[in-house]
Amino acid sequence: MRRIVLARIAVLAGLLGGWELWASRRDPLLYVPPSRVWPALGRVLGLDAYPTLVTHFGVTALEVIVAYVLAVGLGLALGFALGLPRHVGEIYEPILSALYAIPSVVWYPSLMLFFGLGPASKIAFGVLLGFFPVVLAVLAGIRSVDPHLLTVARGFGAGPGTCFVKVVLPAITATLLAGLRAGLALCVVGVLVGEILGARRGLGYLINYAYGLFRTADYVALALLALVLVLVIDGAAAWAEGRARRWTEGAA
Amino acid sequence: MRPVTDAHIEVRAVAKQWLTRDHPVPALEAVSLDVAPQEFLTVLGPSGCGKSTLLSIIGGLASPDTGEVRIAGRAVTGPDPRQMAMVFQDPGLFPWRTALENVEFGLELQGVSASSRRERARALLEPVGLRGFENRYPRELSGGMKQRVAIARALALDAPILLMDEPFGALDEQTRLLMGEWLLGIWARTRKTVVFVTHSLQEAILLSQRIVVMTARPGRIKASFEVALATPRDLDAPAAATLRHALWDAIRDESRRALDGDR
Amino acid sequence: MDRGRRVSPGRRRLLQAVSIGVLVAAWELAARAGWVDPLFVPAPSAVAGAFRVIGPEAAGVLGETLGKTLVAYALAVALGVGAGLLIGGVRYLHDVLNPFLVALYAMPKILILPWILLAFGLAATPAVVYGVLQGFFPICLLVAGGVRDIDRTPLLVARSMGATSWQLYCKVVLPAVLPAVLAGMRLGIVFCLLGVLVVEMFGGIRGMGFLLVSLANAFRAPELFAATALVSVLSVGVVLGLERLNRRLGHWR
Repeated sequence: MRRIVLARIAVLAGLLGGWELWASRRDPLLYVPPSRVWPALGRVLGLDAYPTLVTHFGVTALEVIVAYVLAVGLGLALGFALGLPRHVGEIYEPILSALYAIPSVVWYPSLMLFFGLGPASKIAFGVLLGFFPVVLAVLAGIRSVDPHLLTVARGFGAGPGTCFVKVVLPAITATLLAGLRAGLALCVVGVLVGEILGARRGLGYLINYAYGLFRTADYVALALLALVLVLVIDGAAAWAEGRARRWTEGAA
Repeated sequence: MRPVTDAHIEVRAVAKQWLTRDHPVPALEAVSLDVAPQEFLTVLGPSGCGKSTLLSIIGGLASPDTGEVRIAGRAVTGPDPRQMAMVFQDPGLFPWRTALENVEFGLELQGVSASSRRERARALLEPVGLRGFENRYPRELSGGMKQRVAIARALALDAPILLMDEPFGALDEQTRLLMGEWLLGIWARTRKTVVFVTHSLQEAILLSQRIVVMTARPGRIKASFEVALATPRDLDAPAAATLRHALWDAIRDESRRALDGDR
Repeated sequence: MDRGRRVSPGRRRLLQAVSIGVLVAAWELAARAGWVDPLFVPAPSAVAGAFRVIGPEAAGVLGETLGKTLVAYALAVALGVGAGLLIGGVRYLHDVLNPFLVALYAMPKILILPWILLAFGLAATPAVVYGVLQGFFPICLLVAGGVRDIDRTPLLVARSMGATSWQLYCKVVLPAVLPAVLAGMRLGIVFCLLGVLVVEMFGGIRGMGFLLVSLANAFRAPELFAATALVSVLSVGVVLGLERLNRRLGHWR
């Protein structure tokens, strides 16, 4: 195990070193070695370069939260509406899967037309991306419930409502949590993509802005910041999923 | 414990067919049966003869096309956990609940208070030999243990009737024999009415007071045998051997018909 | 859940078609009744009409986009399958590199997009590069997963029969990995197309992406919907086609 960790550190060091060597000999407008990213990051985080950084970050955060709440709500509603009644899922899930085959960004210009360039289009796009994993997880979870468990519950006199709460919900929890986590990741991507493609505020907008002014070091620093945030969010989601799984133990 | 004097099951001319994609499959054909209170009755028959269907109908999980089932004089319209508890070949334990929480399930549905049901469940795991395993999850339990939890869960309802559909079918032979002995102990103590479905002659002879033999599909009651053997049952005793021959005679042709019919 | 009898495929398709038909009819009604602003939500009849207007231009532009996508796809598949086989097959590589791959897969590639445009200019190249970037990761991860999930028993049997490494690879490993490779390829095409479209949208490069954005900026809703429908139908068609191929090739499962 230690050998592997050391190897990973070596790979990381090699990548950073290689990046530094390769980038420092070239056009500084285009290639930014780590040695220049670091001070740029300092400037960005210290709010010198972009005093309104926090505002932009807040806008992005708000868009992500709203998009996620909507995506989960819609996803759960549609998932249960299609998955619970007999045969409904059989008929409509293929349509859903077919829609999933369309590259999501195809919808963005229509959303831009409808919602304009403000936060609404970014939220809408985030919802569009994030709701699919949730619906698909609900459907997959419901499909995999052991029918014998429902027979047992019925034998104990459980009605349909009780069966849903005491059998279906616990049985699909693990799958559902994985879907919720994937949905969050996609909501974040959707919002960022929307912002980068054209916005007036937000983290993506700032990245675009720095790029437009050829302030490449700032752009790299901001992109790194966004990357770290994304990884932190997904890490938190993974932790939450793990905790919740352990709480509903045995369903693995 | 509640007196079990009203556990009298009447099955009257019950018939049922299952609808599959191609054509309806007749499962039962005019089955009539009486089970006396506190009686241990075994339903013996070849595979596919409809014995599981019969048990489902008695338990209220399926409804007959014609005929009816009465429990203590009242017609069965659906599962009634106050009258009947069911155990299946697949223990059907909820994997997300501990052994204790599984046993509590029926009590939870009836609205029994948390502390009360916890106590009752814990008390039930003791005679089942699972004290110390309350907080284990089903995936940590062996097949025999899972089935014991399933039986404890059924016993928790304290219903006068116990319906068991090949509960030991998935277990190895040694475990099956031990579980049979143990089940008899429980029955002697609780004096419930038990309807036990199996395809094993040995199990039927070891456990029951009366054995009812079913024909191959569509199932009918072919014969009924009183088991007047001393307990604990000795399979090598001459009386047991005689019974065994009689049972095999009754069931051999049906088993062959069932085997041929499956082609 | 106990589903009982399944709905027959014919019936299913009928219900699907009817449902979509009802939806389109309701949309048309809403548009005609004025419940939705035709500037933002055009009637289906308007969209159908717009096909004639924008059709030729959209088809031509779509062709350009597809060209770039196919180049990106070929590269992504070659690189992705190769890397996947390597990382899945060599235990050490997998253990060391897996976290990096997962992190890179989780990273929104859009963050790199501005830099790619800076580095490669504003022609077809950045679109292809970004397309490869998008398509590479899902393919690599799926193939690597497929290699790792291979059932070891057939391998043991073949080795005990004296198979050489090469024979082992061709006759046991590759057929076993094929489903994962096909799954990766199915996912990869969507991602490659996505990548190319995004670059066209962001960089104003000639292609379907740029057309869609231009139509949106010009508030030409019917034409926008028509063009969107065109790309969508094509994409679904390609994926369904690949799925059919997948089923044909993997029929032994």
